[in-house]
Amino acid sequence: MSNLIAIFLSLAIINNFIVSKFLGLCPFFGVSKKLGNAVSMGVAVTLVMLIASLATWIINHYILIPFGVEYMNIIMYILVIASLVQMIELFIKRTNLTLYNALGIYLPLITTNCAVLGITLINAQESYSLIESMVAALGGGIGFTLVLIIMSGIREKLEIADTPRSMKGLPVAMLVGMLLGLTFFGFGGIV
Amino acid sequence: MITALILTAIALFLGVLIYVVNRTVPTKVKGIEKTEEIAGILPGMNCGACGYPGCFAYAQALTKDAELILKTPCTVACQDPESLKRLEKALGITLDAAAMNRKALIHCNGNSEVIHNYSGVNTCKAAAQLLSGYKKCPYACLGLGDCVVVCPQGAISLKPENGVAVVDPEKCTGCGLCLAECPQNLIELVPEATKIAFLCNYKPLKDIPGREKCDTGCIHCRKCFKSCEYDAIVWNKERAIPEFDIEKCTLCRKCIEACPNHTLAEFTEVKAAAKTRTEATVG
Repeated sequence: MSNLIAIFLSLAIINNFIVSKFLGLCPFFGVSKKLGNAVSMGVAVTLVMLIASLATWIINHYILIPFGVEYMNIIMYILVIASLVQMIELFIKRTNLTLYNALGIYLPLITTNCAVLGITLINAQESYSLIESMVAALGGGIGFTLVLIIMSGIREKLEIADTPRSMKGLPVAMLVGMLLGLTFFGFGGIV
Repeated sequence: MITALILTAIALFLGVLIYVVNRTVPTKVKGIEKTEEIAGILPGMNCGACGYPGCFAYAQALTKDAELILKTPCTVACQDPESLKRLEKALGITLDAAAMNRKALIHCNGNSEVIHNYSGVNTCKAAAQLLSGYKKCPYACLGLGDCVVVCPQGAISLKPENGVAVVDPEKCTGCGLCLAECPQNLIELVPEATKIAFLCNYKPLKDIPGREKCDTGCIHCRKCFKSCEYDAIVWNKERAIPEFDIEKCTLCRKCIEACPNHTLAEFTEVKAAAKTRTEATVG
């Protein structure tokens, strides 16, 4: 149990995907302008991470490892994640339009998100069990959402703040990202 | 060899799976036929001027509440009478095409005297924060062109004589981006069919000593209101300014003649003046 908690906390806060692993930086700057969008994106990423971890764990354990072709995992995972997300999108679009609209453009966007590929590769690299990899995916997704929410809160304030003209928009967001990274660096050593 | 086979097999399997999912999940979602019809009429460029995250989201909101189009109209669709007619049919309400097609109008003549020498940051927003601007009238157009910069159509230009900003209604698409940009809140969206333009942002000048309105500002004498023979002018008691009824106005121009300060102007003249100027600057 403590092992699971350690994995969860490690991926959610200490080895956070965005601020310490530098994965999924495009949504970090792309969809962190509004709080609502950030929450949608975070939820979509967490969902896809969970499903992708499940699918890739099965493929890793029943196909890649028995045949001794673990080196193929990157290409295999990209293939699996992309087609899985396509299927989920199709399913949601035709059954629950409200949810589809809430997730919006973000679902197809994260088919090739590096954070999603990253969690599956970490699971394979650390050779986590099924439950461990699901917890890792949940932790990674929640950490991702957390940072996106913090960032969007800051950026909503920055939008109305008196920023020098040359720093408006992305440049000042980069600086904020740096400070956020330093803050999360402070969590190092907890686990 | 085995790796290639595994990859191909998994790809094939996933392909078949997507096909199966595609065929088994029902294709028709109930209750969105109307939304899809409305979305088909909308321009589909997802500009976001209506305040919704895209044309489809706007169409969904319209499906729920058809009256919404009066409050936050799709300005792009409003420019085209053909698509307005189709929208009318789809929504089941009657729309006044002339009133829906709206243009920005700057409520200032720009003739207020310059009383301070301003040499700060060259934007209206900065200038408006110091001593309520550098013109005699604290509500006047400062003419530093914040609205000129923001206009995506290039429809706004500055009058060379007195620096007041003027909108060319032919280029204006009524997106309303300039409304938020003006620190003096001078810009308003008016129907394209407007006949008389009121060119003053009159507010009572209470506690600002040494400030008076300009030579061409409204002195709320009500002469225009009295001169109108067709009841087309309504006196707004709260703001002490005249309001014009487009339907009743016959464009007899009596109010323009009656106004002692030349605050009123014919909208078509404002248009023509703006047009010649934008053409001149382009040429």
